[in-house]
Order: sequence, then structure tokens, then C-alpha cells
Amino acid sequence: MDKYGIVLALFGAVISVLLAGIGSAMGVGLCGEAAAGVVTEDPSKFGKVLLLQLLPGTQGIYGLLVAVLTLIQIGILGGSAEVSFIQGLLYFAACLPMGVVGYWSALRQARASVAGIGIVAKRPDQMGKAMIFPAMVETYALLALLTSVLAVLNIPKISL
Amino acid sequence: MSIASMQKISIYALRKDRKPILETMQRLGVVEISDLDLNNESFEKIDTENSKQTFAKNAKVANDAIEIIDMYTQRKKESLLFLKGRKSISKDNYYTFVNETQEIMRVAYSVVNSSEDIFEEKSEITRLTLKKEALKSWVNLDISENFKGTKTTNAFIGTLPGEHTLDELLKKFSNLSDVENIIFEIISSASDQTCVFVLCKKEDSDVVEETLKNMGFAFLAQPTKSIPKDKIDRITEQVKEIEKKIKQKKELIKSYVGIKNALKFIVDYYSLRSQKYDIVSKLIHTKNVFMLTGYIKEKDSKKLESILTSKFDVAVELLEAKGDDVPISLENNGFVSPVEPVLESYSLPGKNEIDPSPIIAIFYYILFGIMLSDAAYGAITTIVCGLILLKFKNIESGFKKAVKMFLFCGISTTFWGIMFGSYFGDAIEVISETFFGTKIVIPALWFVPLNEPMRMLAFSFGIGIIHLFTGLFLKLYQLLKIKNYKDVVFDVISWYLLVGGAIIYLLSIPTMSELLTLNFKLSSSVGKIGAVCALIGAAIIIFTAGRGSKNPFKRLLKGLYSLYGITGYLSDIFSYSRLLALGLATGVIAQVFNKMGCMAGGGVLGAIVFTIVFLIGHTMNIGINLLGAYVHTNRLHFVEFFSKFYEGGGRKFSPFFVNTKYYKITEDVVDG
Repeated sequence: MDKYGIVLALFGAVISVLLAGIGSAMGVGLCGEAAAGVVTEDPSKFGKVLLLQLLPGTQGIYGLLVAVLTLIQIGILGGSAEVSFIQGLLYFAACLPMGVVGYWSALRQARASVAGIGIVAKRPDQMGKAMIFPAMVETYALLALLTSVLAVLNIPKISL
Repeated sequence: MSIASMQKISIYALRKDRKPILETMQRLGVVEISDLDLNNESFEKIDTENSKQTFAKNAKVANDAIEIIDMYTQRKKESLLFLKGRKSISKDNYYTFVNETQEIMRVAYSVVNSSEDIFEEKSEITRLTLKKEALKSWVNLDISENFKGTKTTNAFIGTLPGEHTLDELLKKFSNLSDVENIIFEIISSASDQTCVFVLCKKEDSDVVEETLKNMGFAFLAQPTKSIPKDKIDRITEQVKEIEKKIKQKKELIKSYVGIKNALKFIVDYYSLRSQKYDIVSKLIHTKNVFMLTGYIKEKDSKKLESILTSKFDVAVELLEAKGDDVPISLENNGFVSPVEPVLESYSLPGKNEIDPSPIIAIFYYILFGIMLSDAAYGAITTIVCGLILLKFKNIESGFKKAVKMFLFCGISTTFWGIMFGSYFGDAIEVISETFFGTKIVIPALWFVPLNEPMRMLAFSFGIGIIHLFTGLFLKLYQLLKIKNYKDVVFDVISWYLLVGGAIIYLLSIPTMSELLTLNFKLSSSVGKIGAVCALIGAAIIIFTAGRGSKNPFKRLLKGLYSLYGITGYLSDIFSYSRLLALGLATGVIAQVFNKMGCMAGGGVLGAIVFTIVFLIGHTMNIGINLLGAYVHTNRLHFVEFFSKFYEGGGRKFSPFFVNTKYYKITEDVVDG
């Protein structure tokens, strides 16, 4: 059974990248459409709407981050660590928050971002406020990231 | 270091001096002019809407002309224009331009009109080209289009649907007495239609027409006297003519490229006049006198008064500014002023509130630094911002503030990067190991968050508690300023006792301090003191928070509900865990890129791969994390910090000033 530990752990890493990445890709795409609409009207707002488009992109990066940490911990990226079945299961569980929360928060953040792009289209001077609304959503992706990272980093310390 | 104190200013002067007085005030840019309500019949207001719009229109035409010239000369917009700022204009140049306004406006109109003409002519070319295309199928018809026949013959010129051959068509006329009596020519044939010319004897014409009609024949629409080929030639000629005209007009537009500076001046000139007339409409007048009121910063008032009284016959009245409508202007030193826009984008201080900018500045730079937390990224940010500030002295003040803010944030980032031992992530280790065989590690001055995340989390919470308590302290200060001592005890001290006591009690529990890897221990007796403080605080809140209600039962319920606010403090403190999360994000992504870079191994090829990955990866990482750190530092201030003491609601002081797009008009120039 212990052979399957590393498989489970890898599944976890993959899920973290997959879900968070898909969420971010969809989110950034959604914002890109809105941003492109604004730019057709006023090309000078490109810089501002680009920043807003980028905001839901961070979840994908957080997903990658958790995955890479997991890969390092289980010895796929350099080093060699023995991963027991239980540990593999733990890694799998540890990766879930980032994947699942990453996916949904990216989509919801994208909608807040699109609304923010609407603000910038009408009142470019309110850029600061427009960025805060999507940032509120990002908080939860950050909390998930924190949970996943703390768990992944501490799993080897548990004696099982 | 605070909110500038304002005075209410009223100026009474002669109507004949109105123009120079307003201009002087516009150049000084220190007075915000209020719209005076007219409720006295002996005063009148001047409607300046018409002149205002004429000026605004002129400014727009000149602006359009500049854009058109740019378009035809294919000059790219200067991308770094915002760095260079506006040029100053000398007094001589100013008057040279002013004397030529009519001439410049004529050019502007000529440019705009030419551009419109070009547009119309281009659509004319399209129309002609379409016509020419339609005629092409008739090019082989070598007689006039409206040829009807001779004395003894009748001619049919027109189209048949579909593609036909001559033989096939002639067969249709087998019912004619003599096929030789008909001349049938196919002018052109395409899949959708066949153009034909048919000539027959007059006596056969009815039969021929009948046959043709059955086949779906249609006469040539709108035939003219001319031969199609001549017509085509004529159209080609026409198109050439128009193209020549377009070219001439384009040349004309291009020839004005040298006058662009004059046009820019005109844009500024007319928008200034438009602004001025906007102000004129806010003044009130009698036959010989006008009056204006507004707000001015106290420190500027003496200067304005002396300038005005030395030049004109005016009466200046200065009063203490009171009431809710007094506008807010923040005044801070170079270290603090860069964060003013952050405060401004939330809201300016309202009534009885202090300017929290100095406190924001300190925390802003620290929090930003911890979030980005890489010495190399910090150094890059600092150097780039420093270079911009050194090289472009003329940049606009708003942008300058942003650059300065990032400069200070960069310095703080460098500091925290050194504390946490991060230089492009672990680049130094990776490079030394891959390319030089020995692993060099620059040890963290304090500790490495990735190795001790719990310690970093505890530190983040600690920073958060300090930040929140500072916010609470500012509330205390504000309440003391308006001498509201009751609220100080009930709304501030009580929370200090409750939250502070609870924290001390929690830290004295051994498992808690172990979990957070604290290197100090609180004895259980200290914990008990904390617990007592927390209980006292809670009691104060329960019994006083509902003091607005008369009903004792309702009062108690309200108090209990307020106690529930403790969960708000809990989530506020936890919110600072983003310091750890964003710091980890920067560090780990940097490490990922370093790892990817060294996958090609050592040697020359490895070095090349590493350099490429390194440059692209770290550029991206800096960008995305600068954005992240900026957004989340703002959030920590807007949500966690401001909710403790700050409401805002102030109105920004917006003086009547020289608001131009292209030139700085600083010299004392006077004109109409």
C-alpha cells in the first residue's frame, strides 16, 4: 500500500494546480472581455483595466505554489523522501483547500473585478476603490493558501 | 502634519478689475471659489454659458487637430509623456501665441475640415469603384447604352439571369421566320447573369421581346448616351482626381506638423478661458462692483491679500471657516504625503477627525515591506523609483507621490528581505550550487519564514494587534480632542481591556505559546490578570454600549450585542495572516523559477537557460507581487485599520488654478 502514498500526494498537487488554474483562467478571461470592451471606447484606460484583469489571476499562482511545495516535500522535485500511504493521503487533503477555494474564489473575484472595470470605465479616478472589491474576495484564497501551505510544510514532522 | 486650517475669504472689487483679479487668482491657485446664492435683488449674476461653450469648442477643435496631425504624420504618442510632465512657457512665447490665436484657430479648422473632406472623398471613391465594377461587364458593348435601333431595326440591351452560351440562346429563337434576321451578341457572361445585345427587324421585335421576357430578360437600368468603356474611363479619371485631392489634403495636414505646439497652446488657452468664465458665473455683481467668496488656506491668505491690495482697489475680508462645508486639504512632509492618495481614495477626514496620514505612512511602508519581503525586489523597486525621481524632475505631482510611495515601500521591502534572508528567493544558493559547485547561503538576519511559518504567523498577528490598537488609540485621541471622556472609557478603554486582556490570557496558556513558537513565557498569574482585565472590559461593554437606549432591558441586550464585536477583532487579527501568505507567495514563486532555471544544469548552456528563465520569471514575480502587496496593504488599512476610528466624509479643497494639459503657465501673464 505504501507505494501508493506518493501517487495520492501527486494527485493532491495536481488538483491544486488544476482547479485553481482553471478558476483563474476563466476569471481572467471574463475580466479580459470586459476590459477589452472598455479599451475600445477609451484606449488610454488600458493600464488600469489590465491591473483589474490580473486580480483573479493570483489563485492560479497560489495553486502552483502549493503544488510545487508538495512536489518538493514528496521528493519528486529534488531529494528523495519516503511517502507512506497515510502521508500521501494527508498531502492530498492538504492540497484540497487551495484547489477548491481557489477555483470558486477566482470566479467570484472575477465578477467583482468586472464590476470594478465598470467603475473605471465611468470614473477612472476611483481606481483605488475599484481594486478593493475584488481584493476582498482574494482574502479567502489567501486563507486557503495559508492552510494548504502550513499543512504541506508540517506533514513530514508528524510521526505516523 | 495635518489638515490645513482654512479661512473663508470674501473679495469685493471693481467690476473693471474683474479680469485681472481673476487671472491673478488663477495663477496663484490658492482659492476655492464658492457659488454664491443670489437672494438679493440689487445683485445680478452673469450668464457666461455661451462664451464658456465657445471656448470649450475651440479647445476641442484644436485638440482634434492635434490628433489628426498625429494620425497623418504617424507620430506615435510619446509613451513616457506622463514622466516628462508639462513644459513651461515663457512670457514672450505666450504673447506670440496669443497674438496669433485667430491664425492658429484657422489652421485648426482647416485641419479638421480637411480631415472631414478626406473622409467624405474616401466614401465617394468607394461609391465610384462600385459603379465601375458594375460597368465592367458591359465594357465590350461598343455603342451607346441607350441605343434603341435604327429605322428598320430594334435593339435590346440588357441582362439575362444565369450563364448562357450563344448557341443555346439562338435555339430559343427557332420560331422566328429567319434566324439570320437576328443579331445576337453576348457582351459578357458570368455565373449569375449574362449581358446580351440583340438586334432584330422591326417586324420581329414583338416576338423577340416576348421570347426574351420569357427568359427573364431585363433592360439595362438607367441607360445613358455614352459608351460603357468611355464611362469607365471617365470614372477612373474621376477617382484619380479625387485621390489627388486627398493626397493634397493629406500633404496640407502634414505641413502643419510644425504648428502643433501652437495648437497645444491653444487647447490650454481656451480651456483656461472656459474655466475662468465658469468662475465668473459664480460671482455676483452690482453695476460697478463684484463680489466673490471662497475658501483659502490660512497660510496663503496674507500673501493673496497683499498681492491683490497692492495691484487693485479691493477689499479682502478673511473670516474663520466654520461649518460642514469647509473643504479639506492635507499638509504633510515628504515622508508622509505619498500615502495621502491612499487616504483620499477612501475618504478625506470628516468633522472632528484628525489626519491619520503620518500613522498610515509608517504602517503602510512596514506592511508593504513584509508582504513583498525580498531584498532584491525591494532594491529594484527602490532603484527604479529613485531613478525616475532623479531623472524626471518635471513629473506631475500626483504621479510623483505614487513613485515616492513605492520608493519608501521598496526601502522597507529591502529591509524585510534582509531580515528574512530572501534575495530573488534562494537565487544565491541555487546559482552558487549549480554553477560554482559550492553552496553559499546568506543567512537571514532574523529567521526564514518558509522554515518557521508558525513563527511568522505569530509575528503577523503581533503586527496586526499593534496596528489595530494604534487605530483604537487614534479614536481615543479624537475623543479626547472633543473632550468626550465618557466615550473614551466606554468605547475605547473597555475594548483595550477586553482584547488586550484576552490576548494576554491566551498567551499564558502553555499550548498556545508553544503553537505560536513564542520565545517568551507568561506566567499563569499574568494570565489571570489578563483574564480579569478582559472580564472588566466585557462588563463595561455590556453595561454601557447600549447607553443610547432608555429601556434598561433593551440597553442590556444592546450591550450584549456589542460584546459580539469581539468576533470582529478576532477576524481582524486573523486577517493579518495575509502578511505570511503573501510573503510566502513571493518567496516560493521565486524559488520555483530558480529551480526551473537550473534544470538545464551547469555549463554555458545552463547559464544561458538560467539567465532567460531568471529574467522572465522574476520580472513577472515582481509585477504580480507588487500589485498584490499594494492591494492588500490598502485593504488592511481600509477595512481593519479605518474601522477602528475613521469615518471620513470630508470634501477635497479644489482651488481655482491653471488647469492645463500641455503647458505650465507660471509667469504672470495677463490677457483676456
